[in-house]
Amino acid sequence: MKISVELFGAAREFSKTKYLEFNFSKSCKVIDIKKKLYEHVDNKFNGNLNYKEIIKSSAFCSDKDQLIKENQILNKNQIIGIIPPIGGG
Amino acid sequence: MLHAKIIDSSIEKIEISKAEYFLKSEKFGAVIYFIGVVRDNNENKKVNGITYDAKDTMVIKSFEEIYNETEQKLGIKNKAVFIEHVKGHLKLSEKSILIGVACKHRDEAYRLSRFIIEEIKKRSPIWKKEHYENEDSEWLKGISLTT
Repeated sequence: MKISVELFGAAREFSKTKYLEFNFSKSCKVIDIKKKLYEHVDNKFNGNLNYKEIIKSSAFCSDKDQLIKENQILNKNQIIGIIPPIGGG
Repeated sequence: MLHAKIIDSSIEKIEISKAEYFLKSEKFGAVIYFIGVVRDNNENKKVNGITYDAKDTMVIKSFEEIYNETEQKLGIKNKAVFIEHVKGHLKLSEKSILIGVACKHRDEAYRLSRFIIEEIKKRSPIWKKEHYENEDSEWLKGISLTT
């Protein structure tokens, strides 16, 4: 199963692409995706603490623009969004 | 009546005349415009521009939700609201957001305008990356939507 994480705001610094893709052998929870993101930061950015703080403080949303909780189960290929702390206007 | 749009700064600009056209009605005696613009400093750093990022569909949804809540939370039934927010790079003094509201009386219009901008700050997935004179840039810290 493939989960694509669409990057926004400060999380765009995690990659030059718009998405990060993670593979799971079966269903996963949002918290599992957060773990994958932490691993990505460890591997690609030498464990950058600012980037880890962004992950920690971010919400996630479904492809239907609903905020989803960390224990939400994902059981099919889909795109979710990482929503770092906001501040428009 | 609501107009809600994300403006791609590489293609177009926020224009007050569009809001004036949308809000014009003989029913309303008070019209207020709130305009956010890019200023030249923040926390003692000299700013020379801001890049805005947005999750467009979610932002529009949040604008609609905020608009729909105003009747119950503020008791304002008859109104017209025009909201546009920029996505992309802006230079100093360029407009990042325009909130135009039209109501029967001024008290309603002031309350409505203030409510909308404060809710957008708290709820709409929009981000700012400031660009500084020394060529550094930084995503601004904001409000977490984690539950």
